[in-house]
Amino acid sequence: MRKPVVAVLTAAGTLATVLAAAGCTDSSSADGGVFTTIDGNHPINVNAPINPYNQASNTFVGYNTMQLGWAKNSKTDPNAFYPGLAKSWTETPDHLKLTVKLQPKAKWSDGKDVTAEDVKTSAAMSFTQGGGAFAVSPGAAGGLGDIKVVDSKTIEFDQAAGSANNSFLRNILSMNVIPKSVYGPQMPADIWDTIKTATDPKAAKADQTKAQNTITSLGKKLVDFGPKKDVSAGPFVLQRVNPGEAVLKKNTYFFDADKIGPKQVVLKNYSGNEQIWNYLIAGQLDAAPYTSTPTNVVKKIVGHKGNGTVKGFSPVAASLAFNQSYKPLDNVHVRRALAYLIDRKLTTKIGEAESGTASQTTTGLVGDAANAWLGADGVNKLNPYAHDTAKAEKELKTAGLTKSGKTWMYKGKPFTLNIQAPTGFSDWIAGSKSISSQLTDFGIASSVKTSADYATYLSEIAEGKYQVGFWLTALGPSTYNAYARLYGPSNGWTQFGAQVKHSAAGKDGNWMGGTETANVPGLGTVNPGDLTNQLSQADEAKQKELVGKLARYSNDQLPAIQIWDYVNVQFTNTTRFTNFPKDDSDVLRLSPGVWMQLGYIKKK
Amino acid sequence: MLKFLRRLAGHVVRGLVMIWIVTTFTFVLVRLMPGDPVQTQYETLLSKGMSPDQAKAQVAVTYGFVPHGSFWSQYGHYLWQLLHFDLGRSVRAQGVSVTTEVLSTAKWTIGLVLAGTLLSFLFGVVLGVVAAMRRNSHLGNGLSIVGSLLHGVPQYVMALILVTFLTVKFKLFSTGPVDGLLEPGFNGPYIASIVAHAVLPAVAFALSSFGGYLLSMKSSVVSVLGDDFILASELRGIRPSIIFRYVARNAILPLFTVLALSLGFMVGGAVFIENAFNYPGMGAMLVASIGQRDYSEMSGAFLLITMAVIIANICADMLYTVIDPRVRRGEGA
Amino acid sequence: MSTTVEVPVANPVVPARRTRFLANLWKVLRRKPSRMVGAFIVALFVALGIIGPWLYPENLPKSADLLAGPSLSHLLGTDFEGADVLAELIVGSRYVLTAAAVAALVTVVVGVAVGLYAGYRRGRPDSALMRITDFVLTIPGFPLLLVLTTVWKFESALQMGLVLGLTGWGGLARSVRSQTLSLRERGFVEAARGLGLSTPHVVTRELLPNIAPYVAMNLLIGVTTFIYSQVGLFYLGVLPYNSTNWGVMIQLAVNNGVTQTGAGLSYLMAPLIAILLLTLGVVLLVDAMDEVFNPRLRED
Repeated sequence: MRKPVVAVLTAAGTLATVLAAAGCTDSSSADGGVFTTIDGNHPINVNAPINPYNQASNTFVGYNTMQLGWAKNSKTDPNAFYPGLAKSWTETPDHLKLTVKLQPKAKWSDGKDVTAEDVKTSAAMSFTQGGGAFAVSPGAAGGLGDIKVVDSKTIEFDQAAGSANNSFLRNILSMNVIPKSVYGPQMPADIWDTIKTATDPKAAKADQTKAQNTITSLGKKLVDFGPKKDVSAGPFVLQRVNPGEAVLKKNTYFFDADKIGPKQVVLKNYSGNEQIWNYLIAGQLDAAPYTSTPTNVVKKIVGHKGNGTVKGFSPVAASLAFNQSYKPLDNVHVRRALAYLIDRKLTTKIGEAESGTASQTTTGLVGDAANAWLGADGVNKLNPYAHDTAKAEKELKTAGLTKSGKTWMYKGKPFTLNIQAPTGFSDWIAGSKSISSQLTDFGIASSVKTSADYATYLSEIAEGKYQVGFWLTALGPSTYNAYARLYGPSNGWTQFGAQVKHSAAGKDGNWMGGTETANVPGLGTVNPGDLTNQLSQADEAKQKELVGKLARYSNDQLPAIQIWDYVNVQFTNTTRFTNFPKDDSDVLRLSPGVWMQLGYIKKK
Repeated sequence: MLKFLRRLAGHVVRGLVMIWIVTTFTFVLVRLMPGDPVQTQYETLLSKGMSPDQAKAQVAVTYGFVPHGSFWSQYGHYLWQLLHFDLGRSVRAQGVSVTTEVLSTAKWTIGLVLAGTLLSFLFGVVLGVVAAMRRNSHLGNGLSIVGSLLHGVPQYVMALILVTFLTVKFKLFSTGPVDGLLEPGFNGPYIASIVAHAVLPAVAFALSSFGGYLLSMKSSVVSVLGDDFILASELRGIRPSIIFRYVARNAILPLFTVLALSLGFMVGGAVFIENAFNYPGMGAMLVASIGQRDYSEMSGAFLLITMAVIIANICADMLYTVIDPRVRRGEGA
Repeated sequence: MSTTVEVPVANPVVPARRTRFLANLWKVLRRKPSRMVGAFIVALFVALGIIGPWLYPENLPKSADLLAGPSLSHLLGTDFEGADVLAELIVGSRYVLTAAAVAALVTVVVGVAVGLYAGYRRGRPDSALMRITDFVLTIPGFPLLLVLTTVWKFESALQMGLVLGLTGWGGLARSVRSQTLSLRERGFVEAARGLGLSTPHVVTRELLPNIAPYVAMNLLIGVTTFIYSQVGLFYLGVLPYNSTNWGVMIQLAVNNGVTQTGAGLSYLMAPLIAILLLTLGVVLLVDAMDEVFNPRLRED
């Protein structure tokens, strides 16, 4: 009997020792300042390469990855940027030519100069990855047509002939810049010829396909490549990564090194939002980017000494989108009735109390952006769809629905509505539950169904399996991006050169199934997909006119009901560092690494 | 010895067949899964507040890592790769080798599982003996009930409670596998940090699984106590210490096979603990890769988890052969 | 969290008839009040699962106070939406219990059939069936369920139970087989076969009653194990759902930060304690059955 007891005692002893050891570990360093945060875009992956073009990369934007410029959190102007590696730039008014001057003192962490050649290599890398201005398809709208190294610190970008897209500047300026000394040797010498052939509309078809394939396979090879040792032009350089965190140390070669306070940055790993909340509640993070956080957790976080929030504009809204193939949702009166029925304030309180405000009304843009584009007058002219059950009843009756007892009937059967939301999106689920209770109380039998995960949700919503579901809309500040969420591929319109074509409901990813045109009082017959497409090429005055029409169209036709506008809530802790950006600052959607470059964040 | 080797060879062959069936099964399953990794990645980035332009540029290349081509050519390619211990390329980490990914998560899970299982084995065996010896007292009864209850407490409950109280409320422990500010390698502080971080998950493991060992040990001891040998020696007045040695040795043997088996199962079963403690293990990887439709990582992780069970099974069986003389002589089933 | 049921190493039984088993069980139950408590708890949950949803046919009772603690009007507090937690617990019990019961039933039917057949027939059918059993036992249950969630919807409790049961019968089949192997060499079975009684008769009249208590124990333990795995799946948030159940409650409680803040603790604790309570009931009941089954444990 004796032996086992001894064993237990020994085990308990070990536990106590380890406990004591754990108590001693304290990550905050006494001097210089260690800035602890998380990377909002992805958790830490030890095996990922040090390559900013890899999705899981061990490079972190603003810290050891530099872009030419940093996008401001503007309500209306997607082309407003702070200087990054580019000191200044000029663009011709037609968006066709962009000349960029690099920071004269910019250096890589190995001491070499950052030159125009590095930027050119980055552009080649971008082409191998595709997307944005670097799509490898001939005649793609807003593509990069030509790139010229003017001198070692100046570079010129020309938009491909055929379109004058207003997204050109921002796509170029937000390019991640990588060192030619590292990535150049990985690329074939004739890469620019291949890119030219692949993107030239006049090239022979066979050559073009061959060139495109070469680029695609090169892209797969390059995205997994990374240097053993980080070469960074940013304020920090990667020191080491382990499964728990990535550690970056100050880059003494950084051109604005005096501005940078912390000597080290620690980016902690996380497996879900709960982990981030735990770090915050324990006061371990000096700053944390936006994550959807419930009210009581926010209270708890803010309750910890030094913790606080910084709130600002977010150009994203959560909407309830309809699949109009399900009758009677194709009837605009039914959609209006639902808009009157849903109490957006109550729903927002339950779904997104902390980082959302109930949408004023449905415009296709978040409230602040709508006010800026349309003016308060313009917004006031729209139907606010204030919570009003009487108006809802009237609309339903207009649509031909009848009431039997407490239940609303459509063609002799109870009108039922299943609201779909993906598991894991607790704000959408909570919001859906609230809406479903409201509708059920009113006599429309409603329930919430969840999908196994976001991937399933996205594929099933596209297959038309859901009646209504949550959908991100109003993705600004680019008005084209915002309206493309409502009048883009998911509603039947696809870009076709500079034109759009419309596919029938259920075809080519059209799951919303709205009508191609509709007659809106005061506007006449409108094709919203066409208007949206025009937004991509329009100047500001023209955009104003188009947005005015599209907002009225969306407000009248309601392809989706805007429920809440997100608010960008970031957490900061002022016990170790101070001078964080203030509420509504235009740097809020950038990483703390960029804040440091702009002179924010100083050790206390 | 020859018999032993033949038995082993038989097991290995059956294990290989099993691995082939499992790979084929996951291969087919993966191709039935709804959802498009590229689209998911894109919309996820949007939901995190990235602009559509940037999100599009980030995910464009992912398409290249999604398996394309006919079913049979993909299948052939997959098996061919497997023969070279190549599990393919990750989709969500855009081209990172899945073999590397899986192996780097495996080391964390295996450490955790070993520590947790051994701890619970120790607790379970000791308390099981006590429960059996004192089975007619309140202590024995109480132990059995507590054991059964704890055996019944799901790991996630234990893990959630421990995380809430010991890392958030009282900051005695921190989550994650190790303190990142330390220089990795074979040095004191780094290893101490790994151990310190592993304590709580290991304890969560042990607390939620020692009940099973307790019950098995108790019933094993009880059955040994009823052996003719014991009855006879009690009548003859043989010293209790000798009886105890006999009991302990004979009662613990069956538990070793249980131990070997559960080690295998725990590799995949650690998902809740890893999830709660932010531990970068295989279970956590499996869940994450499913959510993001990373076909290659998912198949890879599932394959390795199954292999752990197969290997554990073989070990358990061989162990059983060594321990149980009847099986050794080829009499038993 | 494997779905394989671990049972105490069992000893072959002294022959016991069905009626004697029930009488014994009653006797054993009455010996300790704790066992009666166990039986009562299990009965209570069964009743809850049956009548629960009928108690709240419409929307659940609601309060404007979100994630509130227990009060007179809401005995177990409210959830993130202000809905009554007790009502949710009751309504949510049916899915969980039905799925677990179906799973246990499938396990028992398949496990006993395979085990009995293999053990009684021996020879080639035996080794073939045991190969399949090995396969089922080898595929790690919970990870398999995780993978299956992506293609299988588990929309109804029946489907959930079916899948749980079909992945979890291996352990029982194996033990039933070894029980059968040893029983078939026993005098009374030999005698029955010697008398020329038909195989169905021997199996149903002589073998089945003898393994019945063992199987019943497994059924009970199985129910709790299956509750853990399905609740676990919902907790991890990998399953779609269209109405509330205990696992969904845990998941939403965690997603709403209950573990971080303690606000709405009763929302998280209610399903957890329900699970613990049910486990306790089953444990106490199994304790009684164990004694009937394994006479060496008897106190006298």
